[in-house]
Amino acid sequence: MSKEKDPKENIEKLKQECEEYLNGWKRAKADLSNYKKDELKRWEEFARFANEDIIRDLLSILDSFELALRAMEQSGEVEKGVYLIQNQLEDLLHRRGLEKIDIQEGQIFDPGLHDAVMMADGAENQDGLIAEEVERGYMLNGKVIRPAKVKVYKHLEK
Amino acid sequence: MAKILGIDLGTTNSAMAIVEGGDPKILENVEGNRTTPSVVAISKSNERLVGLLAKRQAITNPQNTIASVKRLIGRKFSDPEVQKDKKISSFEIREAADGGVEIKMGDKWHKPEEISAMILGKLKKDAEEKLGESIEEVVITVPAYFDDSQRQATKNAGEIAGLKVRRIINEPTAAALAYGIDKQKDEKVVVYDFGGGTFDISVLEVGDNTVEVKATGGDTHLGGDDFDQLIMEHLIGEYRKQEGVDVSKDPLALQRLREAAERAKHELSTSMETEVNLPYITSDASGPKHFVMKLTRAKIEELTKDLIDKSIKLVEEVVTSPSPKGAGLKLSDIDEVIMVGGQTRMPAMREAVKTLFTKEPHLGINPDEVVAMGAAIQAGILQGDVKDVLLLDVTPLSLGIETLGGVFTKLIEKNTTIPTSKSQIFSTAADNQTSVEIHVLQGEREMASDSKTLGKFILDGLPPSPRGVPQVEVSFDIDANGILSVKAKDKSSGKEQSIKIEGSSGLSKEEIEKMKKDAEAHAEDDEKKKEAAEAKNLAEQLVYTTEKALKDAEGKISDDIKKGVQEKVEELKKVKDKDDISAIKAATENLSKEIQKIGEYMQKNPTPKASEPKETKKEESKPSDSAKASPDKPEENK
Repeated sequence: MSKEKDPKENIEKLKQECEEYLNGWKRAKADLSNYKKDELKRWEEFARFANEDIIRDLLSILDSFELALRAMEQSGEVEKGVYLIQNQLEDLLHRRGLEKIDIQEGQIFDPGLHDAVMMADGAENQDGLIAEEVERGYMLNGKVIRPAKVKVYKHLEK
Repeated sequence: MAKILGIDLGTTNSAMAIVEGGDPKILENVEGNRTTPSVVAISKSNERLVGLLAKRQAITNPQNTIASVKRLIGRKFSDPEVQKDKKISSFEIREAADGGVEIKMGDKWHKPEEISAMILGKLKKDAEEKLGESIEEVVITVPAYFDDSQRQATKNAGEIAGLKVRRIINEPTAAALAYGIDKQKDEKVVVYDFGGGTFDISVLEVGDNTVEVKATGGDTHLGGDDFDQLIMEHLIGEYRKQEGVDVSKDPLALQRLREAAERAKHELSTSMETEVNLPYITSDASGPKHFVMKLTRAKIEELTKDLIDKSIKLVEEVVTSPSPKGAGLKLSDIDEVIMVGGQTRMPAMREAVKTLFTKEPHLGINPDEVVAMGAAIQAGILQGDVKDVLLLDVTPLSLGIETLGGVFTKLIEKNTTIPTSKSQIFSTAADNQTSVEIHVLQGEREMASDSKTLGKFILDGLPPSPRGVPQVEVSFDIDANGILSVKAKDKSSGKEQSIKIEGSSGLSKEEIEKMKKDAEAHAEDDEKKKEAAEAKNLAEQLVYTTEKALKDAEGKISDDIKKGVQEKVEELKKVKDKDDISAIKAATENLSKEIQKIGEYMQKNPTPKASEPKETKKEESKPSDSAKASPDKPEENK
């Protein structure tokens, strides 16, 4: 009898093959079920953040609006209607889940919400605290879509 | 078995990917981004930060924020590269006892591999969170020029992060893997990798599943950031000329301008012109100032021409210089060119590379992600996912049945992975039709007569009923061996018939190709024929429903309306069996309009049975799609 036909060896070989196929099958099944779950999650996220792109683009217009209002306030009276338009825009975005990130002077700097872009001279006990907001930050449905750009105090030892 | 993660551990940014269902896929980090800044920091509150968060606090804490550690890993302190970096880095570096480098972060001195390990650790954690399973093994990419010590240090970084590094592969090799170039025989490949901060060139020789690096080169301090800088300087200069204001003195303005320059650069990769529009950028004695400037693609190409030329010159050197400086090849010896790195999206850069090699470079995969994708493919090969153990077949051609008018209605489209099954409901084309013929077809053409017949059978014993009423469910099932079973079942009587076709995929490769080519060649023709058949079907159906409606409305509508409708029916009947499609369509359209008068009339003059015209309208609106009829063909076809 040739070696190949040794039944024991054959059974071993078949067992191995069987195992390999079974594992492959299980893996494929698992992959599919995982993929389905992932896909569902992706869709949920997609639905939630589908507006994110356009809202992100709108942020720079909100910035410009604020700058414009501030400049107008400085040079004289601002027509009330302009504020109302700003409110309309902000209301609309608020309803879509957009929230401003509140910044106060002396707040602790948190890189999860804030992006440090500049330093400002400060007292020793102010070191590392926020000095000023440079650009407003926003969250959309609880996710930071733009961190607030801030100035942070730095104490220079003399 | 757990998944093996593929990691592109970059100088500025890192990315990770896994193979899922046989294809590589980028994994997002917990912040929801596809790349993670390669930055590590110890914050004031002694918290370790990695990635975006570390980057955001960098300027508040420069001495404890470590970036670009890849430039230091595995190098001796005396290495000129390290000395160069020492001068520009914001953190402290010293010589370690073994002659290597040590970096100070917080109160501790770390080896570069420990810093890299923190980045890898974050990626591992984020991947685990995303996948819901633990990651124990990884494939990490390194530049082709990395020496043994740099590779070993990268491997150690993985181990420190608690990962088993299954393999360290070259970044250009990963890119070649992602484009599937590794399978080619004896090819010479150039990888042009223009990242944010570094420019790497590699010449590879690919053959028989081996990839040999013939030569490398580049510039470790040339990258996309230099492009942004030039554009920004241009904008500042132009503004000074126009308005006499120097915005570079205003840090806030500079901040906005930097972002605008980067955005403009991105936009000009796809459009020819963009506008940088920053209202209230600054102010002077005369009041607020705005920044509005047009920027064209031609302009930024002119601004950055020197950088591109420099990169092309370097490529030429690496390819043509004799070994060991270069690969000692002719430019014409190169078979494939791959472009990697975000900056290669710039059309002028692609054009310059194309002109140099007179060859279209490989594009298509996101150039920021291609290396991580390749790492994942290598991981997939190691974990056996990409091994052809379980070879899943696909149906090479579409399968379906013949329906009214000789149309080939496809149930299973070509390239569907088998085993698979699909069913659809069909109906009859004539009143009191008691049998339907199921003609099983294969091919890509639109008409049954041009397709290959696989088999035929008849389902009879349908209870006599008006056309379109019986519901015949036709199911196709292909098992893992490619055997096709077709079953037809009448839903009301429960009667069924079936056929088994073994040779459905028994076509030779040539036959399949021929059938596909035929379909392409006749696509337009077939579309017309199908349109004709559908127009005739629609006409047929409309005549039928109209006559039925007239009968139902008998005595409830005025003779005028009845006469008008009948005339239009006759007109349609005259043309419907001829080949003038536009005439059929016109007559059908006329009749549809006319028939609405019945409904209108009956709404204005309601009778208890006023719902019936509505029914007519409903049917008329979708005459043939929901109930594709499979007729007793001898009667219907001719």
